[in-house]
Amino acid sequence: MNTLRLYFKSIVMLIKSQLQYPSSFIMQTLAQLVMEGGEMMVVILIVDRFESLKGWSGGNLYFFFGIMSVSFYLTELFGRGITGDFPSMVRTGRLDTFLIRPRGVLTQVLCGGTDPRRITCIAVGVAALIMGSNLSGIAWSPLKVLALVESIAMSCLLILGLFMIEAIFSIFSVKSVELVNAITYGGRSACQYPIDVYPLPLRALFTVIAPFALTMHVPASWILDKPLYGWPVWTAFVTPLAGAVVFAVMTALFHLAMRHYRSTGS
Amino acid sequence: MSYFTVFKMRLRMELQYRGAMIGGIACQMFFGLILVALYRALYAGKPQSLPIESVATYVWLQQAFFRMMLASDSELVDKIKSGDIAYDMCRPVDMYGFYYARIMAQKLMGSIMRAVPMLVMASLLPKGWGISLPASLTGFLAAIPALFLGLLCVCALENITVAFTMKTLDPRGMQGLLNLLMMTFSGNLLPLTLFPESWQKVITFLPYAQLLDAPIRLYTGSFMPNEALRIYAIQAFWVIILIALGVFMWNANKKRMIVQGG
Repeated sequence: MNTLRLYFKSIVMLIKSQLQYPSSFIMQTLAQLVMEGGEMMVVILIVDRFESLKGWSGGNLYFFFGIMSVSFYLTELFGRGITGDFPSMVRTGRLDTFLIRPRGVLTQVLCGGTDPRRITCIAVGVAALIMGSNLSGIAWSPLKVLALVESIAMSCLLILGLFMIEAIFSIFSVKSVELVNAITYGGRSACQYPIDVYPLPLRALFTVIAPFALTMHVPASWILDKPLYGWPVWTAFVTPLAGAVVFAVMTALFHLAMRHYRSTGS
Repeated sequence: MSYFTVFKMRLRMELQYRGAMIGGIACQMFFGLILVALYRALYAGKPQSLPIESVATYVWLQQAFFRMMLASDSELVDKIKSGDIAYDMCRPVDMYGFYYARIMAQKLMGSIMRAVPMLVMASLLPKGWGISLPASLTGFLAAIPALFLGLLCVCALENITVAFTMKTLDPRGMQGLLNLLMMTFSGNLLPLTLFPESWQKVITFLPYAQLLDAPIRLYTGSFMPNEALRIYAIQAFWVIILIALGVFMWNANKKRMIVQGG
């Protein structure tokens, strides 16, 4: 609990410090809005031309897009320390200072970064969710709300876990590994559409290795009353836990990797 | 002549980054596969007049030349932020030309190094997944000068982005905005050939469509080779306009440049 309070206190301070340059902040936040709006526009254009995608209507596609962008940018908002800053912490030796403080390294890394500009991306995602929900005519029930909240929370843990792969790599080789982007940003691009449109190898990758399908598509398609592969209701609540599993595994690996951490000495 | 030397030096430097190149290629191949898979699924539901092979070819050419669009001279941005740009003003060459040559070498070498292996790999994929042969030999030959004009155009755009950075000293806001415009209207996020037809009439005239869309359309045959001269004219028009605008902005910035001490 203490750790959590510390975390939120740091985040609030970081946000305050970013707000010290209001014009730059507003400009960048607007840029983010246009960026995510552009991504959304692509989905709208696709729906306009193709109407549906393997049985998923336009409204369904907006809903999937919304879940992905809310989860992805919430992760970037709260986990910036991992998703963005970590490789440079290693390179510049800033990480060394964390080792002498009486808190976990991961906690401190997470406390060290936030990206409040992403708030507009999240807003676009929420708009897409509402639009998708209205167009698909979802009849919301408390259980469905629970499924959506669980799905987003678990997806955030999953995405954080995937970014930790990059962090772990960067402990061993100071240069950051571009290839990991394929699984994080590539996962975002691919899995903003339902998984069953892809051929088997891609489906396997995003179900087993980077299980976006389990944290997002299984619950989302149940919410849309079109269960993925016809799976029963309970799967919508159990499979998202894969996100927590990935996060737990990566946390363990991260601590293992930190034992081999050698400072760059700069 | 000094511009050519800068160009050559930079070509050699870009050749050194082979590790980054392999990572970049793998990443771009993966993105290409995802996009082609998505468009194939969309086509399965509702086939379009434009064949899927042409869309796949479009995606692969976009991915192969991705580096041409998104390489930026980070050294220059650092110099602007730190104030070291003052040293460049002492050089006996025109600053705009100097950096134009640098960025052109970086984009040219970076994209050729990635494009050649990627296009070979993409051509090995099954039909409808990989890149198809050009519509005709003349179409292919017509696409090459168009690609070169596209390169000139994207370098001029890059220098305009830099000019904004000189003004605001913070590369993120404006650069992000301009890059997004580029990604959207150059056909990277969604092939321009899949935009609504009424939009296409307008966006094919925008500078962003001159970078890769024009050469790709010549390659796939959606622009006929006999239209090539008209397309070169549009491209050349934008190259001149964008360079003129860039030079004007750089000169204006030079007059009011404030170098941060330290």
